[in-house]
Amino acid sequence: MIELVGVSKRYGSFTALHEVDLEIERGEFIAILGPSGCGKTTLLKLLAGFMGPTDGFIVMDDSTVASAKRVTPPEKRNIGMVFQSFALWPHMTIAEHVEFPLNHHQNRKKESKQEVQARIGEVLKLVGLDSFSERYPSELSGGQKQRVALARAIAPRPNLMLMDEPFSALDVELRMEMRKEIQKLHRETGASIVFVTHDQSEALAIADRIVVMNKGRIEQIASPEMIYTRPETEFVATFVGKCNLVKGQWQDGNFIPKINPRCLWSDMGVAKAFKKNGIYPVRPEQLQLSMVALNGVHGRVTFVQYQGHEIHYTVEILGETWTVHESVYSPRFYVGDEVTVGLKKAVRPEKVLVSN
Amino acid sequence: MIIKQQMDEERRKGLPPFSLFFQNKNIYKGLGLLAVFLLFLLPVLRLVWLSFVDEGSLTFDYYTEILKEQATWSTVQNTMVIVLGSTVLALVLGVAFSYIVAYVHIRGKRAMQLFIFLPFIIPSYITTLAWTQFFGGSGPVSALLALLPGNLQAPNLYSTGGIILLLGLSHYPLVYLFTVNVFRKIPRDLEEAAATSGLSKKQAFRKVVLPLALPGIASGGLIAFLSNLDNFGIPAFLGTPSNIRVLSTYIYEQVVGFGPQAFSRAAVLSVMLGVIALFGTLLQWFLLRRSRVTETVRGDMNPRIFLKPVRQAFLESVLWIFLLVTSLMPLVAMGALSLISAYGVPFTLENLSLKNYEYVFFTDMKPLAALSNSLQLAIVTMVICLVLGTILAYLRFKFPEWSTKTAELFITIPYALPGTVFALCMIFMWMEPVPGWNPGIYGTALILFIAYATRFMVLQIRGSYTAFLQIDPSMDEAARTSGARALARWRKVLLPLLFPGILSGALLVFLMALTELTVSSLLWSSGTETVGVVIFGYEQAGYSTYSTAFSTVLVLGILLGGLLFMVLGKLWDRKVLKTK
Repeated sequence: MIELVGVSKRYGSFTALHEVDLEIERGEFIAILGPSGCGKTTLLKLLAGFMGPTDGFIVMDDSTVASAKRVTPPEKRNIGMVFQSFALWPHMTIAEHVEFPLNHHQNRKKESKQEVQARIGEVLKLVGLDSFSERYPSELSGGQKQRVALARAIAPRPNLMLMDEPFSALDVELRMEMRKEIQKLHRETGASIVFVTHDQSEALAIADRIVVMNKGRIEQIASPEMIYTRPETEFVATFVGKCNLVKGQWQDGNFIPKINPRCLWSDMGVAKAFKKNGIYPVRPEQLQLSMVALNGVHGRVTFVQYQGHEIHYTVEILGETWTVHESVYSPRFYVGDEVTVGLKKAVRPEKVLVSN
Repeated sequence: MIIKQQMDEERRKGLPPFSLFFQNKNIYKGLGLLAVFLLFLLPVLRLVWLSFVDEGSLTFDYYTEILKEQATWSTVQNTMVIVLGSTVLALVLGVAFSYIVAYVHIRGKRAMQLFIFLPFIIPSYITTLAWTQFFGGSGPVSALLALLPGNLQAPNLYSTGGIILLLGLSHYPLVYLFTVNVFRKIPRDLEEAAATSGLSKKQAFRKVVLPLALPGIASGGLIAFLSNLDNFGIPAFLGTPSNIRVLSTYIYEQVVGFGPQAFSRAAVLSVMLGVIALFGTLLQWFLLRRSRVTETVRGDMNPRIFLKPVRQAFLESVLWIFLLVTSLMPLVAMGALSLISAYGVPFTLENLSLKNYEYVFFTDMKPLAALSNSLQLAIVTMVICLVLGTILAYLRFKFPEWSTKTAELFITIPYALPGTVFALCMIFMWMEPVPGWNPGIYGTALILFIAYATRFMVLQIRGSYTAFLQIDPSMDEAARTSGARALARWRKVLLPLLFPGILSGALLVFLMALTELTVSSLLWSSGTETVGVVIFGYEQAGYSTYSTAFSTVLVLGILLGGLLFMVLGKLWDRKVLKTK
């Protein structure tokens, strides 16, 4: 288990991390999600031991590995790391990359040559590179390089795997493939994984829990479904769910939008903070468009973006701009159309989806 | 009780008081900086000091005296004309070549680069020697002109024009080196954006490419300016016989003239020359800082301009003729003329012999001794610079703060100073390292070792520093998260990656020290002659045939070494770095 207690990091007058508290369970897959400059890479570097915190401490497997006074260097931590740029050594073969941590990592055992070779073979097979063991990095494609970086990180069976935006150098299709690859590795190694990304769909797809960060602070820690359907802050609502933040009044558990007080929207699990501020975060796919009707919010379509599986409408309503995602099977609207925007009725209330 | 004491002690060991740690760090910093100051900057300050001191009292007498002399002003005028003329020549040639190599589609660019760099590895005094043979009475140019009607004479190289020509030809590779990557780094989109905005090719060049390349061109020009100012060999070989003096040769004459005030007068002239040179260095540093924006972009190696096949072939042949005539032919002429038996006899079969070589290597003992001296000097300097320079480069890389930056600035100064000025600094510094104490370093080989290590240290630092910069920090970090301790990381990851960069720095130091002339011409003593000094000596005594024979052997040796280095470099790239 890994525990961060009140961890802060300051560079001069700039604070990269504000008193972060976080617990990572053994075998858990955590995604740290946030825009660039939110402190997620700083957090990862602190976990790796490339630098020490200004305040607070980090505990790994019951021993304090970092405090303001003392920092255990990365080579003495039980970790593996996958870098954004792969960080492969140009002068070593694939097999040598995997062998390197087997010879140096603190988890290494007094193993015979055959056992080391067997482990190399095993790891390379796991990432599907067993026929490439004598190649050099310059002879591999991007996806293959990524697999080598993964193989090197998992080879010594570390307790914690750190991944710094490992897919950002890959193209879209490869990313989808590598997501599955990492999920598979996670299942088979049982190591805890901390995965840094700025791509919300990536975080939602692979993590057990997501840590959303903004401006050096943790905004929310929860499972992907909770993060998506029950955002607790405006930042999480807009960054992860792309929510429209509709202003209005909360009365007896129902919401009355300011734009049209005759509407009444039922609560589908909005966090307390929003209720206090008179905001209803509505995700684009929760809204639907219809021909002008009496009941509902009226607006005009200003942009239409066809996406294949759905259509994204931008609707202007009394100076506010809402985004609505509609299925391609719903009635089609065009730029300039007058429409009514309404809240979709959930087949079953989302409240039931996740026990709160 | 005892247990508690032990615990206290352990705590003290484990956690040294923070403030003490920082105090120690500052002490090391201070000591290191002091050492660098004493070795690299103090000699310069002592030279400046000496120009103001007469028998223990401050005086401006030397300055007023020298500034009143007609000879000083004609020397300064010569220097300005020669340096500016040769800088313009170097700029025109260097920028033209870099523009063509960077942008125009032509064949054989790699081979061309090799020829452009040839003047780089052959010392300029040998090039000069080769050119005097090339244009000399028995040389191919005169022979060719004699075939033509009319009474045509080969141009006289022993003139201001000749000095400008040779300085320009020796230093245009510097301009080329500085500007070729500047051109390559200008993104092609910028020109395309200009074209889609309606600019013609010429307008785009004038309004987009040129302004962006200007900082690079300017700093290349300043490097050429400094090198022309610093050069001693060319004006010494060509100017001395025809009484054309520039500051660097004038200082030399003062020192070897051994007048009563020789050193003080030389010090004043050196301050004048040094001020001009330092001003240029500062200007260049400033320009480089401003052009840093483009440095991160990767160079675009693909050509941008495609000529019609006929024009391309024409351009290629013009370039090749120029390169062969300016870099290879003079050396060939020198090699051929070193075979004739006596100076001035025609180049015919019966006049050919190996007599000169026999004299140089078997009768006169000096050349072989000088070769051995220079090799020793070069190897020792290289090793000292390799070790110290790489350590300093590592500190500079690891702690990019004011102390290491200041140290680098101090270490740059001995290299930025003109060689004659630097040699004087060394004399003043090491004749009496502490005033009143003469350990007898000046007058022995030791001063040459010290001088070379001081002067060339910065070359190794730059080479090693660049090597450090080129390694992505994640290379080391990946090794750390793999559990490797410092020793294993250096041995298995960092050194193999650093090796080529560090080695090329070391070889540059070796080559510079091996063929150095300016500094050793003032610091040598009987028995510690260097290669440059011996060739210079032959030339001054009028033994051209001997100096050409010795130079030919040296050129062959350097070319062979260069070839070996290239082959080894290719092998290393392929075997170790596995690049294709």
